[in-house]
Amino acid sequence: MVRPIVLLFLLCVPSSFAVKTSDFKTCAQAGFCRRGRALASRAQDNASWKSPYSVDSSSISVAPDQALFTAGVKSSLYPDIKFSLDVRIHDDGVVRVRMDEVDGLRKRYDEAASWALIAEPKLSREITWTVGNKDVRAIYGAKKENEVVVNLEPLRISLLRNGKEQVVLNGRGLLHMEHFRTKEIPRPEDTPEEGLDEDDVQVVMQVKPTAWFEGETEDGYWEESFGSNTDSKPKGPESHSLDITFPNHGHVYGIPQHATRLDLPTTTGENATYSDPYRLWNSDVFEYLASSPMSLYGSIPVMHAHSAESTVAIFNAVASETWIDVDHPTTKSSSTHWISESGILDVFLMPGPNPDEIFKQYTRLTGTPALPAHWALGHHQCRWNYISSDDIRSVQKRFDEHDMPVDVFWLDIEYAEEHKYFIWDKKTFPDPVDMTRDVEALGRKMVVIIDPHLKRTANYPVYKEASDLGVLVKSKSGDAEYEGWCWSGSSAWIDFFNPGAWEWWKGLFKTTSQGDKWSWVESTENTYIWNDMNEPSVFNGPEISMPRDNIHYGGWEHRDIHNINGMLLPNLTSQALVARSDPPKRPFVLTRSFYAGSQRFGAMWTGDNLGTWDHMAVGIYMVLANGIAGMTFGGSDIGGFFGNPEPEMLVRWYQVGAFNPFFRAHAHLDTKRREPYLLDEPYRGMLRDILRLRYTMLPIWYTAFHDASIYGIPILRPVHESIHFLMMPHYVVFPRDEAGFSLDDQYFIGGSGLLVKPIVHKDVTEIDVYIAEDQVYYNYFSHVAYRGSAKGKHVTVPAALHEIPLLIRGGSILPTRERPRRSSPLMKRDPFTLRVALDKTGYAKGQLYLDDGETFSHLEGNIVWREFVAEKTVKKAKTIKITSSDLVSKNLDTAVDGVSLTKYDPLNAFARSVESVRVEKIVVLGLSSKPVSVKVEGGEELVYEFTPGVAAEGKKEGQASVLVIKDPGVSITKDWAIVIQA
Amino acid sequence: MPTMLRLGAMAPFLSFLAPLGVLAAGVDKTHGVPPNMVSRYVPVKSSSSETWKCLDGSKEILWSSVNDDYCDCSDGSDEPGTGACPNSTFYCRNEGHIGSIIPSSRVNDGLCEAECCDGSDELPGVCPNVCKEAGEIYRKTQEEERKIRKKGSKIRSSYIAFAHKEKKRLEGVIETSTQEIAVREKEVARLRDIVERSESLSAAALEHKKTSPLYESLIMHSNALKSLQQEHKKHLEREKALGDILDALRRGYNPNYQDMAVLEAVRGWESLAGLPHINDVGKDEEGSHEEAAIKTEVEGEEELEEDMWTAEELEKDLDNLLKTDYVSLLLEHEKHVNSPVTDSILLDLSSYLPDTLVPQYEAFRDTLVSWLQTLGIIHGAPQSAGEDSKMRQTLNDAEHSLRLAKDEKKRAEDDLNDLFDPKGYGAEGEWKKLDKTCLEKDTGDYTYEVCLFDEAKQKPNKGGQTFSLGKFHSWNPDSQPGDPAYYVKQVYRGGTKCWNGPNRSVVLILSCGTDNVIHTVAEPEKCEYHLTGTTPALCLPLDTPEGNKDEL
Repeated sequence: MVRPIVLLFLLCVPSSFAVKTSDFKTCAQAGFCRRGRALASRAQDNASWKSPYSVDSSSISVAPDQALFTAGVKSSLYPDIKFSLDVRIHDDGVVRVRMDEVDGLRKRYDEAASWALIAEPKLSREITWTVGNKDVRAIYGAKKENEVVVNLEPLRISLLRNGKEQVVLNGRGLLHMEHFRTKEIPRPEDTPEEGLDEDDVQVVMQVKPTAWFEGETEDGYWEESFGSNTDSKPKGPESHSLDITFPNHGHVYGIPQHATRLDLPTTTGENATYSDPYRLWNSDVFEYLASSPMSLYGSIPVMHAHSAESTVAIFNAVASETWIDVDHPTTKSSSTHWISESGILDVFLMPGPNPDEIFKQYTRLTGTPALPAHWALGHHQCRWNYISSDDIRSVQKRFDEHDMPVDVFWLDIEYAEEHKYFIWDKKTFPDPVDMTRDVEALGRKMVVIIDPHLKRTANYPVYKEASDLGVLVKSKSGDAEYEGWCWSGSSAWIDFFNPGAWEWWKGLFKTTSQGDKWSWVESTENTYIWNDMNEPSVFNGPEISMPRDNIHYGGWEHRDIHNINGMLLPNLTSQALVARSDPPKRPFVLTRSFYAGSQRFGAMWTGDNLGTWDHMAVGIYMVLANGIAGMTFGGSDIGGFFGNPEPEMLVRWYQVGAFNPFFRAHAHLDTKRREPYLLDEPYRGMLRDILRLRYTMLPIWYTAFHDASIYGIPILRPVHESIHFLMMPHYVVFPRDEAGFSLDDQYFIGGSGLLVKPIVHKDVTEIDVYIAEDQVYYNYFSHVAYRGSAKGKHVTVPAALHEIPLLIRGGSILPTRERPRRSSPLMKRDPFTLRVALDKTGYAKGQLYLDDGETFSHLEGNIVWREFVAEKTVKKAKTIKITSSDLVSKNLDTAVDGVSLTKYDPLNAFARSVESVRVEKIVVLGLSSKPVSVKVEGGEELVYEFTPGVAAEGKKEGQASVLVIKDPGVSITKDWAIVIQA
Repeated sequence: MPTMLRLGAMAPFLSFLAPLGVLAAGVDKTHGVPPNMVSRYVPVKSSSSETWKCLDGSKEILWSSVNDDYCDCSDGSDEPGTGACPNSTFYCRNEGHIGSIIPSSRVNDGLCEAECCDGSDELPGVCPNVCKEAGEIYRKTQEEERKIRKKGSKIRSSYIAFAHKEKKRLEGVIETSTQEIAVREKEVARLRDIVERSESLSAAALEHKKTSPLYESLIMHSNALKSLQQEHKKHLEREKALGDILDALRRGYNPNYQDMAVLEAVRGWESLAGLPHINDVGKDEEGSHEEAAIKTEVEGEEELEEDMWTAEELEKDLDNLLKTDYVSLLLEHEKHVNSPVTDSILLDLSSYLPDTLVPQYEAFRDTLVSWLQTLGIIHGAPQSAGEDSKMRQTLNDAEHSLRLAKDEKKRAEDDLNDLFDPKGYGAEGEWKKLDKTCLEKDTGDYTYEVCLFDEAKQKPNKGGQTFSLGKFHSWNPDSQPGDPAYYVKQVYRGGTKCWNGPNRSVVLILSCGTDNVIHTVAEPEKCEYHLTGTTPALCLPLDTPEGNKDEL
């Protein structure tokens, strides 16, 4: 949901659909960003620029048998100020660099990483630092391919691979950590003497010895105003600046969330696309632009740098406002400049060397995306607002009448009396539990919104308890609770940094009475949660958020923790949902705001998008960018939150949504209703087909989610080659194919081999799809075979309104469930269809992961994880054998998230519950000739139909040959083999 | 070849497959086939095999492939009893109750469908047969509905009786007005004859008179005034709309946002409209304070020059002024100028004379007048013009009366037509009784009122503006007149426009009930209201075909 009706009213000249950019700062309006950019431009103009920071070689201390060293750092600008440096290498090769001010006037915020990291990383014990006169070095890696070099004067840190620099810190000398200082009150003798004009004063000031680096004036050091808000900035300047250079990588991706292309456009240098740096400051931006470096709802300071040789990444664990300039000095290199308002420097360098390894390294730091409940992959229907329990019932009825599958109905803020979340408005929702039961009766769930702002009224038990517990955010004085304005009017915000709030918050979600403590007895275990407005959004606050000088637990200012503030709410809410039931069920929490590590707690969406083609397109890039930064379970509002999309646009938007991990339709209060059953034919039928297509593919999605949820532990042992992305952009799948490095409008679904290019333009009837390899690809629907080329090739695929450009990569086996049902839990006992898409050598493989989809019993081995392989029995033979084999016993360490199974029982409770589920059909694409016999190994002939056509082997394009094997009757849980004799 | 028969002979390691076929093996070939289609589900036997043709004729398959839980036919007809085909349906016999048809997506999905009380949509043992109970409940509700229908249909017949009475009344009106029309038509014809005769003489003179600068200027003034009035009205409407917007802003804006632009706008509006500052107004007395304030302000503003019209006069009397018959006025004027002293009764006399005497009188008058002119007692010239004008007025009055009579007849005829028009008050006139009947529903903040066939309104309970939600527009536009479904929905359109939204509108969904009541009010989309209610007008007698629908 969101941005307000009220603001709409205040700001909006009717039909002006655009953000009021003046509500949000540009770099020039933020003192520290202005200083940071000025620093960069002074450096650029000064050929003899040299960083004032250096390591004090006498202070270097190497930890015994650990890949860690610490040292003191000095700045020639302020010889009396002490800094510390801490460089360590983790057991998976990730390098962490930390720098802090020591014995300063105050303490810098140093807890950002502790919220982002899943655990304290283990240090390597196999690496030794070599301390020399000029540098400290360490060489490591299986082939000694990696090297970290810390130059002492000036301080410069680089990570090399095979002698080539991958990433360099402070290579441009922009490193700066503003030390804490006391505000100087001008003494009488400082005031200009009579007769001196201002220019003379300027001359006097120019002799300031630090001016060459910091500039002549104290620009925005203390109090700053923006609009009608004033930031008191009692701690003064404390920003830091760091240049991060990728001398050998011409493409950078990541640092979500921005509405822009995946391959990040430049912000500085010649012909820069944007004039402002990318900004990370979680913001509720009303009607955001479809192409802009402005900050949005979430921030993940993770950047991939990529070239055909290697991929490397950095994670800058900072929670304060951060601006990032991006430039490509040459087409083969990238340079970035990071400017943050407060906190310590804490940067992780991930050596790669390919996107998949990056993902492993990153998820070992911040956790893998949680394996969601299976139903969460279904179709979600939302609107601001379904206005009553009868409205929900009637929407459900209409879906069922039109036999359109849907799993979840959502309630936005209007269910809550006076926007007191948890408290049902009994005028319109007199029977919330009965309503939920009616939805549950068809295997469905409810998701209800709970926002972090609490209406300040004593008759609201949640506010009263929070107030009594003293767990509300405080205003700048530090003693009174902060009052701001949000949906509920005068509101207070829960401070989830306060551990005192945690158990209390978890208790609220209990569905049974908890004595004198309030709990949500008017909910059921099928009521799941949507956390919105958690940037936090404050209507009357600076930039629609909280004042930076507000005080959180531990005395930290809001400025220090702003970008991680949003992730705490879904963190605690998901814990609450686990804790409310016994045995525990997997939580589902949708969040608008997020940070590195948020993937552990649930799904995100791209916020309040517009119903325009531009927004439809940028939604895909945004979900891709979030995905490579770990936040894979994402999607954008189908149809656009604002506006009334015409039927064609709505059909295309459902096609986009069906190929996003998170598949939700949502709409603003002012829009016309647009539930799919409301459209006229032929559109209604198209939407039903899309919804059904998504449901047939749930096994593919669930398997991809499973893949993404698994750590690569232990890292040094050979493991199942897992794919860690749900939506795989081209550079991830083909990291050496330069032509695909900027592609973000087509992508693969996990490791399935499905390649999709959703249509995001009007009046399209066909489209070019890029194929990066010399391989056969099949149209999912028509079975037409296309051929790519090792140099890359575009093929033209039909894309009329009822068609989705969806190709199967030769060599893939796709498990689907083809029977339409009203909701996904009702598919539990349905048989599978396997699509075997042979590659040009006559080979294919695929996998299927199944578990009960809702509890944690998968962690005890109650799973089925199969691999299907189609291959020639003997090389060059014509006989092809399709086998099903267990993957769990071969991959005990990587079968489930975070746990090493000690053994696997193929007859585990879950497997037994689905052993009667069979494969009802096998479709083989690309056989070279009609089989003479098809049988289950050791069994009788099977019934089959063969339609001749193009074979996988060879060069031809056109309708592929199709073999349909009728009902082989084999169980999905068991080993079997089917022999196709040609 | 049926899958299951094969499996018995399989290698031992595949014996686990046995349970997979439970469904296929256990399903009868006509399972899920509706009674009228059972005859189509028979095998074609030949010496070697039994076969069957898909119902659309597209394919011939083995008889054993029917209901084997695998979709062979593109039309889905080979799997009437399983969920294997996405596009087929399943028939539940529901013995003891009423048979029903469900989509294949509900077969073998693990849920016991309410429509299939016999449980036949799921594997044996999954769903109990509850047709006895379901049948009883069904019959009970049917009985209750019957009772309501019975009672309601009695009321409905009283509505129909009303319509017939109304019909009689209208026919009476038509008859009376027909007679009146006949009389008045004669009268008009006679007067017209007189007027035409006299006017034909003076038409040319009149044209000449019309070129008088005074007349021309008058017409120009009149036109200008008309335009001004129109323009004025437009501005009033705009001002009203603007005032509404600003009022909403004033009441709804959030002072805590600290948005100076908004605050200034609010303050400016308050000063212009003479309202106290919203934050200074006690919430409860807000309304009365403001009204008082407006009054004093308005009085203060009014400083009119002598003879200038007040706003009230402008509003009330301007229309009448503009309706002035300028031709008559021209002639009056001339008369006035020509006879400054006396307003001769002589010239007006014709109006007072019985019609039969008029010609004689005119002859006499003409003589008299020429004589008087000669004597200089009255001025010569177009005296007859004034006379013509009077005659014209008489004719106009007569024509007006005739029109009234005709209108009354027309109205009565229209009403009579509507009365039994399927698009109007229903084929039996059962809705006539409810014409302009107002139903209300209090939802707490607002009371919603629908005056049937007239207008729907939203009236705030705690003071504020009443909004029109629209005027009666049509019955159910998605249905055909005469269809029962046609009368369950009324559409009201063209209500007050929503700020930044559509004109308000209402869909009223009605069903049979013993009272005329609105039960629910909802606003599923901004400014589009959905109301539900009951009325006896929809309670068809139990013996009509619609009354005995016995399907699920």
